[in-house]
Amino acid sequence: MPIDPITISIIQHRLYYVNAEMSEAMLRTAYSQILNSSRDFSIGIFDGEGRLISQADNLPVHVGGLPFAMAEVRRRFAARIERGDVFLVNDPYYGGSHLPDITCFVPIFAGLETEPIFWAVNRSHSSDIGGSAAGSYNPDATEIWQEGIRITPLKLYRAGCRDDDLLHMLATNVRHFDDFIGDLNAMIGSIHVGAKRLAELIDEYGADELRGAIEHILDASEHQTRADISTWKDGVYSGQCLLDDDGHGAVNIAIRAQVTVSGSDIHVDLSGTDPQVSGIVNSSYANTMSAVHMAIAYLTPSGIAKNSGSFRPVKVTTKQGTLVHPFAPAPVTLSTNHPAQEIAEAIFRALEGSCPDRVVGGWGRRFRIALQGKDPRTSRNFIWHLFHGRPGGGGSATADGWHGAGELSSGGGLKFSSIEVAEARFPLFFAEHEFAPGTAGAGKHRGGFGSSVRIRLETDAPVSGVTAGDGAVHAPHGIAGGRSGTPHRYHHVKAADGMSTVLPTKATRLKFAPGDWLHIVSSGGGGYGPPTARGKADRLKDVEEGFAVG
Amino acid sequence: MSTHNTYKIGIDVGGTFTDLVAVDQRGRTAKAKVSSTPEDQSIGLVDGLGALAAELGLAPDQLLAHTRLIIHGTTAATNALLEGKGAKVGLLTTEGFRDVIEQREGYKPDRYNLRLRPPPALVPRHLRLPVRERMRFDGSIEQPLNEDSVLQAIEQLKRAGCSAVAVCLLHSYRNPAHERRVSELLAEQMPEAYVSLSSRVLPMIKEYERFSTTVVNAYVGPVLANYLGRLRSRVQAAGYEGEILIMHSHGGLGTIEASIGLAAGCVLSGPAGGVSGCIMASHLAGIPDLIAFDMGGTSSDIALIVDGKARISNDRDISGLKIALPTIDIHTIGSGGGSIARVNDGGILSVGPESAGAQPGPACYGRGGNRATTTDANVVLGYFDAASFMGGRVAFDRAAAEKAIAEIAGRMKCTREAAAEGVVRVINTQMAEGIRIVAVRAGRDPRNHALLSFGGAAGLHVADIARSLRIRTVLVPRSAAVFSAWGMLSTDLKYERIRTVAEDLSPGTVESLPPLISAMRQECIVEALASGLAPEQLAASITLDMRYGEQIFEIDVGIENDELTAPEATRILAERFHVRHAELYGYASRAQRIVVANVRLSVTTPSGIRPGIDIATAHEMRDADTRRIYLDGWTDVPVVDFESLSPGARVTGPCLLRSRTTSIILKQGDVGEIDALGWLRIEVGMPGAHRYAGGEADSRSIELVEANG
Repeated sequence: MPIDPITISIIQHRLYYVNAEMSEAMLRTAYSQILNSSRDFSIGIFDGEGRLISQADNLPVHVGGLPFAMAEVRRRFAARIERGDVFLVNDPYYGGSHLPDITCFVPIFAGLETEPIFWAVNRSHSSDIGGSAAGSYNPDATEIWQEGIRITPLKLYRAGCRDDDLLHMLATNVRHFDDFIGDLNAMIGSIHVGAKRLAELIDEYGADELRGAIEHILDASEHQTRADISTWKDGVYSGQCLLDDDGHGAVNIAIRAQVTVSGSDIHVDLSGTDPQVSGIVNSSYANTMSAVHMAIAYLTPSGIAKNSGSFRPVKVTTKQGTLVHPFAPAPVTLSTNHPAQEIAEAIFRALEGSCPDRVVGGWGRRFRIALQGKDPRTSRNFIWHLFHGRPGGGGSATADGWHGAGELSSGGGLKFSSIEVAEARFPLFFAEHEFAPGTAGAGKHRGGFGSSVRIRLETDAPVSGVTAGDGAVHAPHGIAGGRSGTPHRYHHVKAADGMSTVLPTKATRLKFAPGDWLHIVSSGGGGYGPPTARGKADRLKDVEEGFAVG
Repeated sequence: MSTHNTYKIGIDVGGTFTDLVAVDQRGRTAKAKVSSTPEDQSIGLVDGLGALAAELGLAPDQLLAHTRLIIHGTTAATNALLEGKGAKVGLLTTEGFRDVIEQREGYKPDRYNLRLRPPPALVPRHLRLPVRERMRFDGSIEQPLNEDSVLQAIEQLKRAGCSAVAVCLLHSYRNPAHERRVSELLAEQMPEAYVSLSSRVLPMIKEYERFSTTVVNAYVGPVLANYLGRLRSRVQAAGYEGEILIMHSHGGLGTIEASIGLAAGCVLSGPAGGVSGCIMASHLAGIPDLIAFDMGGTSSDIALIVDGKARISNDRDISGLKIALPTIDIHTIGSGGGSIARVNDGGILSVGPESAGAQPGPACYGRGGNRATTTDANVVLGYFDAASFMGGRVAFDRAAAEKAIAEIAGRMKCTREAAAEGVVRVINTQMAEGIRIVAVRAGRDPRNHALLSFGGAAGLHVADIARSLRIRTVLVPRSAAVFSAWGMLSTDLKYERIRTVAEDLSPGTVESLPPLISAMRQECIVEALASGLAPEQLAASITLDMRYGEQIFEIDVGIENDELTAPEATRILAERFHVRHAELYGYASRAQRIVVANVRLSVTTPSGIRPGIDIATAHEMRDADTRRIYLDGWTDVPVVDFESLSPGARVTGPCLLRSRTTSIILKQGDVGEIDALGWLRIEVGMPGAHRYAGGEADSRSIELVEANG
C-alpha cells in the first residue's frame, strides 16, 4: 500500500517530538550533575530492524554509535525479546562506546506481533562506573577491567519484572550507589515515556503504515545527504591528526584517514592509523564508527535528520589491531573524546580540498582533572570534576570560532556549572575564569579563545588528583590556510614555594597541598583561511575586545 | 452614563492595535480599539483614551478626572530587547570574571552546525570592566573593594558614552556591600546613568543567571524609563491624576517607579496581560485547568492555567538571553498563520519556523508573497472567503494562494487539496506536540485541561489540535479582541522577593526562615505603601525552591508562615517536597538529602473592582449560508454567524462559524454550544469510538485505563 507523503511527514515530526519528550523527562529526573546539568546523554528511536530512525538534540559522538549497541542486543537476544523487557549494555566490545556510557533499551510491539516494531533507547554517561579510579577515567589502565564494570547485553527487566539482585550487584560495583540507581531510574523512565507515545502512534496509524513511513524517512535522509555530498569535489584525499600520547610511552600517535569522494558516496579508510596502544586512547569499533558519522554530520547541512539513512552514503574501513579498532581487552575510556575528535578532524583535514566551505579549524581537546579529598567545612569526602576552563572552537568559512565552547565530541552541547555554586559546595576558590587572549589561531575567521582559570585549594589536608585528556602538545590545527591555536597549559603552583610544574594529561596519584593553585590556560581553536584575508573591522574589533591573535 | 461614575481602565498596546477597556464601579465595561503608534506608543494610548471617552459619551478630560486607576501592558521593553535598541550598557564586575555573560555556561545551540556565528553579547567585552574586590561564598570579604579600580572603570564607561551600568559582583546575593558602594560611586560620577545592581535585581546564587538578568535590566531600563516618563506626562496633561500601574512578566502589577527599577521584569508585560485574560476567562467559565493557545502570524503562545492560576517559571530565555526573574510561563513555538511550508529534497513536508511575516505576508495577501503558508492552505481548502478574510481589512487573492500551494503539490506529487490539507495537518501536529511538551515540562497531562483558543488564526486549527491531544473541551471567548486589556483589569498588584538559602533542609535551616521572610515582607509593605494602596489587604504567599541534593532543577513548594514555626515544620516541608516531586516526575526518593535553595515571597493586593462580562444580547438568528469546503473531499457545510448565536444555541460539525475577528471550523463529531457568557464551547469528537473495535463497553474501559494511567 503506498503511503501518502503527508502522512510520512507527520510521522517524522511525531517521532521527533517523542524524542524531545524523552529528553525532557531525562533532564528533569536525572540525579548526577553530568546528566541534569551537563546533558551528557542521548536519546534515540530505532525500528524493529535496529535502524536509528529518529533522534533529538543529542551529543554528536553518541548518535552514530547507538546502532552498534542496538545490533548487539538484537543479535544476542534474537527470539527472546518480550514485552516489558528492558536491556542494558555498556561494554565497548559488545557495541558500547566506553564503560561510563550505559545504554538502555525498551522494545515496543504492535498488537500481537512477536517482533518489536520500535525500540526506545537512552545512552547516558554515569559519573562513576567502578574500576580503579574515581570518576572512571583511569589513565593507568592497560586493560579494560581496570576501567570499571563491564555490562555485556543483559535484561534488567524481564517481561516487566525488574531483576533487583542484578541491579543491586551493579550498583554495588560503582562508587555512588544512590546516584547510579537514580540515574538508571531516570533513563528507564524516559524510555518508558517514549514507549507510551510510540504505542499511541501505533494505535493511530497501524504497524504497516508506520513501517512504510520509516522506509521513506530513512530514504529521505539518505537522499538529502547524497544530494549534498554530490556537490563536493570528487577525489582521493588524505588527512592525519596526532594524539599527544597514551600515558604509557607511545607519543605522537597518528590517526590517518584516506577519504574517497565519488559522486554521492564517501569511503573513509582508517586502516593507515597507528597500532593500538597500552593506554586509554584506543577506540572501540562502534566508537570509531560514531566518530566518522559525527564528522559527516558536521560537514552536511545541520537541517538533515540524522538517522541510519543519513549514514548510508558512508562506507568505513578499519584494520583490527589499530588504535581505531583494537583487540580486546585494550582500555578505551578516553575514546569518546580522544581519539573520536581526532578521527573526525583527520577527515576534516582530508576534505579541505573537497568541501572547503564545510570543514572547520581544530577544536580544543578535553583535559579533565578530578580532585578527591576531605572538605574541612563538612568533614565529608568530596570528589570534584573540572568542567570549567573550556577550550575554543575552530573557525569556519562563515564565522569565527566559539570561545570556550569545548570539545568537538559535544560540539558545545555540555554546560559547565556556576562558580558560585562550586565555591559553596566544594573547598575551592576561583580567582579567575575568563576567556584567554592569545590562544586562538589566526585566520580569515580566527578560532575561538580558550579559557583561563585559577583555582586555590581550601582544604587542610592534601588532595589527590587524576588527569585524563590530551592536547598539551598538539594544538588545534588551522585549516584552509588558517593558523593553529595554542596547546593546553595546565600548571600546578605550590603554595609553599611558588614553584610551578606542568600537569601531564594522563596522570594518577597527583598530590596537591592545602593552598596550592591550579593555573589553567586551555587551547584556543584553529583559524580558518589565511590571516591576511581577515577583514579590517574584525581585526579592529579583536584589538578593542582585548584579544591579540596568535 | 453619569459623570458620577468612577473608572478603572486597562490598556494593552500591541504591535498593530491599542486596546482599551474601562470598568465602572458597578462592573460595567466599555471598549475601544485604535491603531498603535510604534514610534511612541504613548501617542496611540492617549488617542485611545479619547476614543474610550467617546464610547462613554464623555470628553477625554471628564473620563480621566473620574478614573482612579490605569493599568497598562506595554511592549516597550520587549521591543527594545528584540530589536536590539536598548541602552549602551557598561558592566562592572569582579576581576577575573568579565566574560560570564558571553560564556553562556559553555553552551552553543544548533548542535550539528559548527559554522554557526556566535551571537554578540549584550555588553561587548571592552565595556565589561573588572573591579578589584572579592566576596566569599559565605559573605565574608576575601579582598576589600579597591575604589580606585572602580573610579578608573567608571571613567572608561563615561568616555565610552554608556548611559546604563550593570554592577555584577560574585556572591553579592550573600553580601551586597561592595555592589552598594559601587552604586554610590556611580551616583557621584555618573549621576545620569541608569544603574542596575545584581543584588537588587536578583539576589540569587548562580552568576550566569544573575549577571545576565541584571545586564538585560540595564539594557531595557532606560528605554522603559523614557517611555513611561513620556506616558505619564501625556496622560497627566490630558487631565489624569491617578496611579498608573504596569503589567509585569510575573502576571502582577507594579508602579511606574518599581517597573523602571526592574525593567527586565517587564519584558513579557504584553503577553502577561493576555494570560491575565485567560485567568479571568477560567474564573468566568468555571474551568480551573486550561491551556491557553494564542495563534498569531509568525508564532503561537502557549500558557498553562492550573487551578485558576498561571504557572510561574523562574528561568527564562528570551531571544537567547537569560532572564531568571519570575515570569508567567508562556511558551512560544515558531508556528503560526504565516509559517512557510517547504518540501525538502527527501520529499518531507515541514511548515515554519520561517514565516512570511506581515510583509509580504501569505501569498493570498496579494502583496507579492509566493511561498505557501498555513493561511494559504486554509484559503485553498475554502475556509476563508473575501468577505470574512481578516475582517475585510486585508486584500484577498485566492489565485495566488492556489498557485503557492500548487507548487507544494507538485513537489509532493499529490493534488492541490491534499497538499493544502497536508500543510494544515503538519502545522497542527507541530502545535499539538508543542503544547504537549509544555504540559509535560509542568508535569501536567494535557487531557485534563480545556483548550482556550484566542487569536484570529486559532479557530481553524483548535478542534483538530484538541483532538490529537485528546482534549475534550475547547473554549472560544467572544470578546477575544480586547482580551488582554480586559484581563488586566482583574489583576492584582504584586511584589516579589527572593533570597538564597542554599542549605540542607534541617530544623536549623527552617528556624532561619521566618526572620528572613519577615524582612522580605517588610520591603514589600514599604513598596506597597509607596504606591498608595491599603496594606491591610495584602496577601502573602511563601514558596521554597527545593531539590534533592545532587539535582540542579529546583521545584517550588508552597508553605504558610505559621507552618514554618510549627514543631513539625521540617517534616511537613520534606513531605510536601517529596509529594510534589512525585507529582511532577513520577517518583520521590525519601532517603535523599533535600536542599532549600531559595525562599520566595510574593505579596499581592487587589487593584480594585473587577470587570463584569457583557452577556451577548441575542441577535436575530439568520438563516445559515452554506460554503463549499474541502474535508476529505469537497462538501457543502453551513456557515453560521457566531455573534448571532444566543446562549444555549447548538451547532454540530461539519460547519464553519464566523465572526468579525475569527473563523472556527467544527468537523464531523464536534458539537458546539453557546454558554451563558455567549462563548463557544466545543465538545471535541474523538476518533477513539470506532478505533477500538468491540463497541462502547471497550471504549469506556480504555478511557478508564487512561484516566488511571
